Amino acid sequence: MTEDNFEKFLQKGAQSYNAPPARVPREEMWSAIQAKRAAGPRVVYGGGATYLIRHRFGTKVWLGAAAAAMLLVATGVGIGRWTASPRQPAVANNPLPTQPVVVPVPANAGSEPAQPGSGSAPATDRSLRGGPRALNEPPGTVATNAGQGNATSIGSTNPSSAGSGSAYQLTAVQHLSEAEALLTSFRARSTADQQMDAQLGSWARQLLTNTRLLLDSPVANDPQRRPLLEDLELVLVQIVQLSPGSTPQDRELIEKTLQQDHVMTRLRTAIPAGAQRGS
Amino acid sequence: MVAYESQHSVNDIQLITRVVAGDAAAERELYETYVDRIYRLAFRLAGDDELARDFTQATFIRAFEKIGSFRGESSLSTWLHSIGMSVTLNGLRKAKRQRNREAPMEEGMTVGSPKVDAEPDLKERMARAIDSLAEKYRMVFVMHDVEGYTHEEISGTLNIPVGTSKSHLFQARSKLRVMLADFAPEWVS
Repeated sequence: MTEDNFEKFLQKGAQSYNAPPARVPREEMWSAIQAKRAAGPRVVYGGGATYLIRHRFGTKVWLGAAAAAMLLVATGVGIGRWTASPRQPAVANNPLPTQPVVVPVPANAGSEPAQPGSGSAPATDRSLRGGPRALNEPPGTVATNAGQGNATSIGSTNPSSAGSGSAYQLTAVQHLSEAEALLTSFRARSTADQQMDAQLGSWARQLLTNTRLLLDSPVANDPQRRPLLEDLELVLVQIVQLSPGSTPQDRELIEKTLQQDHVMTRLRTAIPAGAQRGS
Repeated sequence: MVAYESQHSVNDIQLITRVVAGDAAAERELYETYVDRIYRLAFRLAGDDELARDFTQATFIRAFEKIGSFRGESSLSTWLHSIGMSVTLNGLRKAKRQRNREAPMEEGMTVGSPKVDAEPDLKERMARAIDSLAEKYRMVFVMHDVEGYTHEEISGTLNIPVGTSKSHLFQARSKLRVMLADFAPEWVS
């Protein structure tokens, strides 16, 4: 009897424990639910219902990736428009032949490792080096085997269907040019310069993001370009992870990767001659 | 009871099918059907309107997100409540960690101020006693004795055997009896 009384006493007294309001805020909560669902990315599955994708990464990461993607596309479109413009001063002022012209250079020009000091001005390094120049060529066409003087097309870019793909191709070329500049600077830097390492790390981080974006883009459909981007990704990850206190052995590992995979050579081969003019 | 449950299941299946098919009205219907119980339980456990709202919203967001994977092994109500309890408990643990971090600062600010030590009444004592229960006992006690859930419902929601639910309730009541011994005359008489 006492037990029953205690249970009744308890159940009665506990009704006041964290007593919820009489009115459940249904509408407010429904509005909040709808707003939160609308704010997130959605996927369509099954019969067409839409649901939130679970956030695997923080908002900052997504925002950063989105900003990088927008910048990349905007750069590509900008370069595409600039190079495609018929009123481009450089083209108008120079009476160029209608067929692509390849200027041959010594065969070892593309595979020559960068010398210390050349990294401080990577953009001019290429022009000084005098790589193959194909003038008036369509985007995506690259001069290779300079000593033999022939030109081949890289990637799936077809001048007749360049349209939407040209922006991607130009962006890729721009990206590869920048990667080459970074790697040249990396090889040329002083091993004791920690500040330089930090700057290179920051630069490599940006390029790593763009490399991964390109790997997920139609650019990576090219059977030659994809392995190059993947090798580049690996090298960039190594550079990003290079801490200020890293040992010379860490740097040697990166150097070995560069040499074993012929990254520099392949980069220079993949960059169409004259691409630096657009940068 | 069986007839009610089978009818209920048919309704649940229809509702889930419509929700999965992208019927916005069905989503709202599901929400309206269960929101009161989910919110009330969240409020009972959290003791705070803002937290209860957050937990309820998170419960339905997660439910809509996962309803395509609902296999019907339990009733829709049980499935929804288990999501609700998971969200609520995780949220409360997080809030508790937050409070623990902030506690030293608050204690420092009240040093020297006169402490009001009035004799707490039954309501306050009972609230404190329930709060002091271990989480597993408190949950079962609140669900059974306060919100009126059956042991079967608690078993399905918390994914524990019915016997364990009964055992937890017994333990909770025993501890409360000791803590509220001062008020024994009220239930002995």
